[in-house]
Amino acid sequence: MRVPYTAFKIKNAPIRQKLIQAFEQVIDSGHYIQGPNCAAFEQEFALFCGSPFASGTSNGTDSLHLILRAMGIGLGDEVITAPNSFIASASTIALVGATPVFVDVTEDLNIDPYKIEQAITSRTKAIIPIHLTGRPAKMLEINNIANKYNLFVLEDAAQSVGAKLKGKRVGSWGDAASFSLHPLKNLHAFGDAGIITTKNANLIERFNISKNHGLKNRDQCDFWSFNCRLDELQAALLRIQLQELEHWTEERRELAFRYNELLKPYVKVPEEGLDEYHVFQTYVVLAENRDELQKFLRDNGVEALVHYPTPIHMQPAAAGLNYKPNDFPVTQQLSKRIMSLPLYPGLTHEQQDLVAELISTFYKK
Amino acid sequence: MIVPYNYLPMQFSNHDAILADWEKLIQSTEFTLGSYVENFEKLFAEFIGSKHVIGTNTGTDALILALKAIGVGPGDEVISVPVTFYATIGAIVAAGAKPVFVDIDDRYQMDVNQIRGAITSKTKAILPVHWGGAAPDMPAIMGIANEHGLKVVEDACMAPGGRIFEKNSGTFGHANAWSMHPLKPLNVMGDGGMVSTDDDELANWMRIYRNHGMVDRDHNRIWGVNMRLQPLQAIVASHILKTVHVTVEERNKNAEILDEGLKALAPFVNVPPRPIGYWETYSLYMAKFHKRDELMKYLNELKIEAKIHYPVPLHLQEAARDLGYKEGDFLNSEIYCKEIMTLPAHQYISRDQLEYMLSSIANFYSTL
Repeated sequence: MRVPYTAFKIKNAPIRQKLIQAFEQVIDSGHYIQGPNCAAFEQEFALFCGSPFASGTSNGTDSLHLILRAMGIGLGDEVITAPNSFIASASTIALVGATPVFVDVTEDLNIDPYKIEQAITSRTKAIIPIHLTGRPAKMLEINNIANKYNLFVLEDAAQSVGAKLKGKRVGSWGDAASFSLHPLKNLHAFGDAGIITTKNANLIERFNISKNHGLKNRDQCDFWSFNCRLDELQAALLRIQLQELEHWTEERRELAFRYNELLKPYVKVPEEGLDEYHVFQTYVVLAENRDELQKFLRDNGVEALVHYPTPIHMQPAAAGLNYKPNDFPVTQQLSKRIMSLPLYPGLTHEQQDLVAELISTFYKK
Repeated sequence: MIVPYNYLPMQFSNHDAILADWEKLIQSTEFTLGSYVENFEKLFAEFIGSKHVIGTNTGTDALILALKAIGVGPGDEVISVPVTFYATIGAIVAAGAKPVFVDIDDRYQMDVNQIRGAITSKTKAILPVHWGGAAPDMPAIMGIANEHGLKVVEDACMAPGGRIFEKNSGTFGHANAWSMHPLKPLNVMGDGGMVSTDDDELANWMRIYRNHGMVDRDHNRIWGVNMRLQPLQAIVASHILKTVHVTVEERNKNAEILDEGLKALAPFVNVPPRPIGYWETYSLYMAKFHKRDELMKYLNELKIEAKIHYPVPLHLQEAARDLGYKEGDFLNSEIYCKEIMTLPAHQYISRDQLEYMLSSIANFYSTL
């Protein structure tokens, strides 16, 4: 038996017909750019997140980039984020000409709210907390600090669609939030895609113009900008996926908690904190001798991954920021212990049992 | 009789092959670059005769990627034209540089005689546009660029299938940008684009930059972006690529009929010159028309879906206010915007529809 890291076909089998029908409807409509499905998906997604506005984009990176621009962040500004995320959380800050300023995380893999304040300078304009792995960041504390210093909060919700804190979904906490709808995400398109949410009416207006060449209308260009539109075809497919998201998430959670029971004697399993609703976009354990364990699992047909082995502040791209490895000791430590195990709707109990058995065997050796 | 501008439902009426490939893609889970994208890149490289093709998310991304690859950045100037789609100029600004305009000629293309006058010590590149799918005088532009040590990025977004004598459009410059927006001669079902180049080093840099600056899954050499061509669109493009030559040929036949009919309506209609050796794609079939706005209203009421690309030159757009241009700076472009109109001349337009358009236009002028 093999346990692949993803298993796309299983998940999509029951809705295959609906997807094909949607695909054909868009083809026949002849309307492939910013059509009715984009508009409907944006409305449905805003409602899902409990946020007033949503706007579809070409991918999560473009979303972060254009939100930062719409917030007016640029050359000379600083933006605070965590160093253990996917590269886009920081690269988009650099892309608008601002400086990424990293703050260490806690064992929940999310930014440590108690270390944010000391990183704030007169140039700080925004905080980008990441809801990493599908677990919400400490938004109450983060919002308090942001209010105190008059900073924007941009939630990087790329991994956490549907996650909740105190019953309120991510994407409704900050000034704006960026979601990735990449095929490996809990809610996904069949190619690159993204969406943003915001409660700020000015920001959504600016954003909608900026994702479409700065065009106020077909013939009036208000500012030079980019093309970061969500494909109509992907929007049609996403609308169908969105209807399935809650039960997919429930299945994911059941499997995650089952993993927790099986694995807690051997590794540190991911927790769900008080008032949190964790969506387990990735199921990340903290393991001793991680590299050997990963190799052992892979040799035995279990595709374990590491997200991510090199923290952003140690990437060659970040050399200009002059960080040292131990500037963020928790991140540094965690980067040696984190391991992502296969978790998705359709993963069987037998597959989970095999993973547990292998991990148990490894640590008994 | 309806003369539609949008031909997509007709073009994709038989989509079984695309749908079958799409299901294979889902099974393969190759959603991030991968073999479908690579396959299309190879096919297009062969099609135009270029060494490398790098698939991008949009034509806009292709322009930005090409400009950044040749080293355009803050403090640089890039010479282009005020008659083009917004993205041409948006890309120059996105790369951090300043757009410098030169006027267009009687073929609505960059006026090569004005380029030398626009070159300063800050000029880094020339960005000529194959506007409408007709080529600017690329050999002359390359000559000027070489003379002054400048790089050239062709905006070949409307030019797949076009050529100047035996050399394909989009193979003259150092790195050239293409679009596969639904209403282009090579199109997909959404956004898509690519850059072509013969330069190994540029190609390598572009492949890394378009995918988050990643040299492999765990290492980011540079701060990058996500400009990847979607595999789904690569599949569509691979199918459509087989039809591009026929599409362009059909459009040329339609253009020839329209040209002849419209020339007979001079001086009310002004058809651009069609020099020998320039094989146009007619992504946009355009001519200048007396009383354009009234004529277009008249045609639209007859369900002839004529359009304007575009009514305001870019140097007079709100977005250009910081560049310091004013009305009168580029007279040809300004007159163009007042008189130009695009007629549906795509591969699904019939002989009857062409004649109907011509007789409708003739009717309009006969009442003046």
